[in-house]
Amino acid sequence: MAGRQFMAILRKDLIRELRTREMLVSMFLFVMLALVIFHYAFGVDTDADLTYFTGGMLWVTFIFSALLGLNRSFAQEKDEQCLDGLLLCPVDRVTIFFAKTSGNLVFLLIIQAVSVPVFTLFFIERSYLADLGLFVLVLLLADLGICTLGTLLATISMSTRARDLLLPIVFLPLIVPVLIAATSATTAIFADGADLGGLAARLGFLAAFDAVFMIAAYGTYDFAIGE
Amino acid sequence: MDAPVRDVSEGSPLEVEVDGLRKTFGRREVLRGLSFGVERGGFLVMFGPNGAGKTTTLRVLATLLTPGKGSVRVAGHDVREDPMPVRRAVGLISHSPMLYLDLTAQENLRFYADMYGLEDREERITELLERLELTHRRYDVVRTFSKGMRQRLAIARAILHRPRVLLLDEPHSGLDPRAVDILDGLLGEIREEHTFVMVTHHIQKGLELATRLMIVDGGKIVWEHAAGVAPDTFNAVYREHVQDGSAL
Repeated sequence: MAGRQFMAILRKDLIRELRTREMLVSMFLFVMLALVIFHYAFGVDTDADLTYFTGGMLWVTFIFSALLGLNRSFAQEKDEQCLDGLLLCPVDRVTIFFAKTSGNLVFLLIIQAVSVPVFTLFFIERSYLADLGLFVLVLLLADLGICTLGTLLATISMSTRARDLLLPIVFLPLIVPVLIAATSATTAIFADGADLGGLAARLGFLAAFDAVFMIAAYGTYDFAIGE
Repeated sequence: MDAPVRDVSEGSPLEVEVDGLRKTFGRREVLRGLSFGVERGGFLVMFGPNGAGKTTTLRVLATLLTPGKGSVRVAGHDVREDPMPVRRAVGLISHSPMLYLDLTAQENLRFYADMYGLEDREERITELLERLELTHRRYDVVRTFSKGMRQRLAIARAILHRPRVLLLDEPHSGLDPRAVDILDGLLGEIREEHTFVMVTHHIQKGLELATRLMIVDGGKIVWEHAAGVAPDTFNAVYREHVQDGSAL
């Protein structure tokens, strides 16, 4: 039953977003705009070595882009009191959390699938094809942390009047550890290439962050989404 | 004329049992010790001015709000201790349709059918869309529906999982005459299958449908009576308890 409910919520969010493209379009435009600005601001034409900035540029862009999506992810539930309809259903609140987190993760991955090749074209001189698997692992672990924490905080902030303001204020300080770990791991991959052993500490940290906030959401989501 | 508030422990099996319900928002006490019961197959209609606590009561029965103090049982289950069976047993029709505007009628009903774990999903959706005269709009997104059509689809959503208890929060509000006829016809058809608690300002409709009447004001039951009260008498009672302010 929980699996069917999980799929129903995820499918509903995907159908709605693919039909309206409210989140995807704003996230995509933001990412592309940020990359163009970085391209000109850092003077790529003058052959400056940007390798050691690439991780930071990429993750700052992704985190702000994710924030745009997270802010919208519960807005549709508030329309026409759909959240009440959802909460009336005999569904474990944690199932709602995991389905909403998965939806946000899918949208972030779609944006990354389009923007990472563009970013590579703009800023990366060295081929990192050999480290692609490791890069995808960093991407997935960091994305999971962003979406887990972001979905939990978006749920808490949706009932407040200043939700558009509150979410960034609460989310950004808490996501800094993910930003630091993902940035250093990504920079290492783009600069010199890296092996799993060299990135083990950072990957372990990202996985631990994901686990901590999943457990926190598991324990608190009933209250977070309740009255 | 006035009947004492029903003792929830007596009489026929009660589908809804509320005893000493209190609810506070911040420092404002919205419900101040409500006690009532609705027997299986009964139709309780709650009247009262805006802000009396009627909708809050329905939201507590639907598990959307937790009771502050007191005991609330629906379909034999405590809403605080055992909310899942209560959610399976309850359907809510509110002012707002609780439908996703960018999904089609079919997608909305499929979503809710999956959430309730319906085995006969497609047959049930087809049956309800026919019953509510919405088959021709099955594949249209709800955003293109009129208010009346959205409310009809909301009725389908609410009874999709065959709830034992149907909670109606001003269901006639905003409906065109055709939609009112369909809603009344449907309520008549399913009357035997469900227990109802309805909140309304529509005195004529309320008196027609009720097996029990109640006036709530200031978070308290100020008058309760079995059905069969004439509209003129009820108007006089309502004015006495609410409109002249004596019960406030």
